[in-house]
Amino acid sequence: MNVKRLLGLDTLKEKYAYGRDPRFGHTAAAKIPDRWVATTCGYCSVGCGMHIGVRGGKAVAVRGNEEHPVNLGKLCPKGLAEHEVIAAGSRAKYPLLKKNGRFERIGWDEAVRKAVDEFRRAQRRYGSRALGVVSTGQLVTEEFYALGKLVQLGFGANNYDGNTTLCMAGAVSGYKRSFGSDGPPGAYDDFEEADVVFLIGANIADNHPILCYRLEQNRRKTVVVADPRVSKTARIADIYLPLKPRSDIALLNGIAHILIRAGLIDRDYIDAHATGFAQLRKHLEKYTPERVARVTGLGEEQIYRVALLYGRARAPFIAWTMGVNHSTQGTETVNVINNLALLTGNVGKAGASPFSITGQCNAMGSRETAFTASMPGYRKFDDPGDREELARLWNISPDELPANRGHAYPDIVEACIKGEIKALWIIATNPLVSFPNVEVLKQGFENLDFLVVQDGFHPTPTTEQADLVLPAAIWGEKEGSYTNSERRVSKVGKAVEPPGEAKSDFDIFLDFAENLGVKEKLYPGWSGPEDAFNEWRKVSAGRLCDYSGVSYELLEKHYAVQWPFTPEQARRANGKRPPTSRLYADGKFQTPDGKAKLFAVEWEPYPEQPSDAFPFVFNTGRTVEHWHTRTKTKEVKILERMSPSAWLEMNPRDARRLGLKPHDRVTVISPRGRVENLELRITEIVAPGQVFMPFHYAEKNSNRLTQSAFDPISREPNYKQAAVRVEKSGAESVA
Amino acid sequence: MAATAVTTESAANPFVILSAEPPPLPRAERGLESRSPLMPQIPLQDGEQYRFHFDMSKCVGCKCCEVACSEQNNNPAEISWRRVGEVEGGVFPFTQRLHLSMGCNHCVDPSCMSGCPTGAYAKDAKTGIVLHDADICIGCEYCIWNCPYSVPAFNAERGVVGKCDMCHGRLTAGDSPACVAACPSEALAIEIVDIAEWKSKYRDEANAPGLPSADDTISTTRVTLPADMPLHTEKADYHRVKPEKPHYSLVAMTVLTQLSVGGFAAAWLLSLFGGADGLGTAALLSLALGLASFAASPLHLGRPIYALLAVRNVKTSWLSREILGLSSFGLAASVYAAMLLWGAPGAPAVGGLASLLGLFGLYASARIYLVPGRPAWNSRQTIADFLLTAATLGPLLPAAVGSEYGVLSQAAAPAAVAQILNQLWRFLRLVRSEEYEKQASARLLSGELARLFLLRLGLLMLGAVALPAMGLAAAGFVLTLAGALIGRYLFFVSVVPKNMAMTFFERREAA
Repeated sequence: MNVKRLLGLDTLKEKYAYGRDPRFGHTAAAKIPDRWVATTCGYCSVGCGMHIGVRGGKAVAVRGNEEHPVNLGKLCPKGLAEHEVIAAGSRAKYPLLKKNGRFERIGWDEAVRKAVDEFRRAQRRYGSRALGVVSTGQLVTEEFYALGKLVQLGFGANNYDGNTTLCMAGAVSGYKRSFGSDGPPGAYDDFEEADVVFLIGANIADNHPILCYRLEQNRRKTVVVADPRVSKTARIADIYLPLKPRSDIALLNGIAHILIRAGLIDRDYIDAHATGFAQLRKHLEKYTPERVARVTGLGEEQIYRVALLYGRARAPFIAWTMGVNHSTQGTETVNVINNLALLTGNVGKAGASPFSITGQCNAMGSRETAFTASMPGYRKFDDPGDREELARLWNISPDELPANRGHAYPDIVEACIKGEIKALWIIATNPLVSFPNVEVLKQGFENLDFLVVQDGFHPTPTTEQADLVLPAAIWGEKEGSYTNSERRVSKVGKAVEPPGEAKSDFDIFLDFAENLGVKEKLYPGWSGPEDAFNEWRKVSAGRLCDYSGVSYELLEKHYAVQWPFTPEQARRANGKRPPTSRLYADGKFQTPDGKAKLFAVEWEPYPEQPSDAFPFVFNTGRTVEHWHTRTKTKEVKILERMSPSAWLEMNPRDARRLGLKPHDRVTVISPRGRVENLELRITEIVAPGQVFMPFHYAEKNSNRLTQSAFDPISREPNYKQAAVRVEKSGAESVA
Repeated sequence: MAATAVTTESAANPFVILSAEPPPLPRAERGLESRSPLMPQIPLQDGEQYRFHFDMSKCVGCKCCEVACSEQNNNPAEISWRRVGEVEGGVFPFTQRLHLSMGCNHCVDPSCMSGCPTGAYAKDAKTGIVLHDADICIGCEYCIWNCPYSVPAFNAERGVVGKCDMCHGRLTAGDSPACVAACPSEALAIEIVDIAEWKSKYRDEANAPGLPSADDTISTTRVTLPADMPLHTEKADYHRVKPEKPHYSLVAMTVLTQLSVGGFAAAWLLSLFGGADGLGTAALLSLALGLASFAASPLHLGRPIYALLAVRNVKTSWLSREILGLSSFGLAASVYAAMLLWGAPGAPAVGGLASLLGLFGLYASARIYLVPGRPAWNSRQTIADFLLTAATLGPLLPAAVGSEYGVLSQAAAPAAVAQILNQLWRFLRLVRSEEYEKQASARLLSGELARLFLLRLGLLMLGAVALPAMGLAAAGFVLTLAGALIGRYLFFVSVVPKNMAMTFFERREAA
């Protein structure tokens, strides 16, 4: 501090001066950039359009894009300060190789050679499946497309999956089973056009605030929220259903039961467009309101009310997120949600669809292009026609395509423990915080010969375990596209250069291919992301997720366009913004017979029931200030100030019984591990017998407590409903 | 709006469903903007001003407003000109956790402005916006004490205070403030309010759970509460009561000026009634202490060099009056000292004048703390505290410097007993108060500050009553001074400012 400041002669007037930005008006002069670069937010899958303000090669501000069809200029608090992530002190800047337990800086050539050599060595010694790859939902579509080819064709390794399996796999599997393909049928416009909006296990106020904005535009809606916790979203509901944890299948079956009994189903639609109705009707007979009330803890009249509301609605919209997916019955829950829509003929209509609100900014792009759970373009591994077509497009023999899907994420970890996978490549994810029952993953890491972690940040708990760290460019430093929850493809712009020697994941993949000697084969004539995008357009042409009409030029003009989008649609749009698109409006589905399937699903109790030793049901979730494992948001000072530490929510009745007071430090213990020194928040927003904790905090990681229980269909973890007990920190453990 | 879209199939791709509907119209044309607009649509008239409207039933607590405000004003992360807080009420599942978003309330009767010693605040004649001029601000932080909402925020990097100006520069250009523009729930809006009309009905519309009473300053912010508002709510930070900033320089300055005036007056009185040796020394020492503490007082300012600006607002600011009173005391006391030295006639009269001015200075000094925003301070007991500190330390000072004391040192005893009673009574009043802030102050004094509180009373008893009775006046003086300093420290740290409900984790440290 200088003397002038101490005396008060200097008040940093310049730093705090105001000015006028030509585009956004009066604002702090320090936030007025040389240029604004259009892009799409890199946090969640709402996919908000924004501009990054660049001054002197640095990102100084972010503003919502008022012309972007998703957010019309609004951003959530994370988005509003997103530029701060780029300059974070914890960015990975140089390739680092661990030698004798310490990281040493190496050059890119050596780094790529080392990774490829180690991968190849593991594959030579233990078989091609000894290489595992875990990626993310954070890359741009062009990178997912490039990575899929590199892993499956370049390395011939099919044990490849994304962290998206921890998130939306239930929705993917559910869509595939009900409708024959992945692909959310609805659109965000439905939030505005529905007359009933039913949110199940979706706390959009904390997790997708801009969808609250879209919902707010709807003046004639009735909002129903089903959540075991009185979330911020429950607060804005017209009808809140405080159902017992994991009783949603019973609730949805109960609603279907009432719809059938009340004649509020669309028999013509069902007969024309769905199969399995007879079995479903029989199956639902036992889901009487009385029984459902018992299972869910709701009143019968509440169940009737919601069922009749849904059944009589002009346009009922039903959306869900992790409350549904994070379950051993996640896929089946999605099927039951789809049942409701099918029974009433509410799929792909304006305002009426079942709709998964996706997690990561480009989880959708990954689902369509990444070559993990399916081949690019939703092609099936076991469909000879799909194989032929893809091989032809890529100018290879169908035999070069993997015969089947490799391990899903949890099974990759299992294979590491068994010693089947010896080299692992982790890209843009931080599983030492995000993987359930995280000790299992640590065991897996211990058995590896070589771990490569490619990330924009270092150190993270995961990069610290790596043998090789590859520094990647992040959002704001690279070009490409994201696809959001409503299938809207949105352009991602490069505003600034990555720090140090970090490079885009795209360039890293090209370097790998070059080193492997397959660059021309995999990436013929590619030099940048647009080449990958244009190849993907051809590969997706004629598929449900048809990008063939979407060009960078179009995206730069309209910022975002929903798939499917063909050149024919582009022609019809005639330079204007294309209209909202929905899937299956004609009742033709992606199944062989073109009909959707109704599923008779039995409600089952969740796997780990509370006991005397572990009497509480442990629920996890998010807070609006943070993103996933907080790698990015802990670097944003204002967000970190607002939400600096994990906490535990407990009902006052339980707290009284345990003699706990507000702000006490407590330890939460599950059969698998413990988290200590959590600040106790005594609150009526959680039910007695349940506790809630946010999952963002590496220092106090909820995944030390969660279970290794997975949906048998989607392989998605059952993050919720672990059985725990709570003690005052420092007190003796009384088991 | 059409409920169903007529669709046709694309020739090229059988999966593509083309909507035959035209592209959606802009929102306004679709009739979606039927609700009250977020910005005034007509110009202000005389007797009107702009105000915020906050709709608590819509706010989802996303804190977009807070981040947008920070970006708009390039404020560091720890400073929020707009803050989001929480209150909770009801029993599961009928629980309501409600959020509050508050910038500046641009009050009809802004106490930040009336308290400001330099005139850095102004209520804009045209818009009614309470504006703050950083160029005139000296960083005394008195406005922060004065504001019952703890709105003004001291920026340590700049040495000045800053606050929400309703994005004056945006409003005048026809743009909505950053917070209003950022709110995804459309819970914030700018409205026009008729000030005369508002004065008669603000109680119903400006008060809300989690907000201090609008009575102190007549906040103009209109708050819409949810229809199903629970009868009883609790602030999310209710149980998080933390001691405030200690203000060490003010601890020293207030105690020393009280010692100075008290010592001077004691010496003067003694000289009046018979005189004694060494009184001149005592008077000079008092004066020196007073001048020294006075000279050091600008050090607590963010911008010490502009300390003199602090006398500008004698009209409404007790801080200006304190400075005027105490500097006049210094001047008169210096003249008195000079007259004593030169043996000039009429010195007793000048000494009396100086004592009176000093007394007024101390009174003004105490009045600084009588602000509604700091309930534990806001009583006559603060005045008693300050004057009794002078009355306790004053008589002991001549004794301590070895002048003829006799009766004088015993004079501290009743003052000390009165002070102890004053403190105990104050504590009881805090304990028995129904006001949250006073209760919280009592919790601090009987909790983490209890030992210091007892020590302070003990030192006073020992130093001002017991030791002088044993003839150990000098030692008594030292202990009494230590007790007074601890007492003043407690005074500053145990106050719980009025504030909006904050979040579970935060409670912005007010000055």
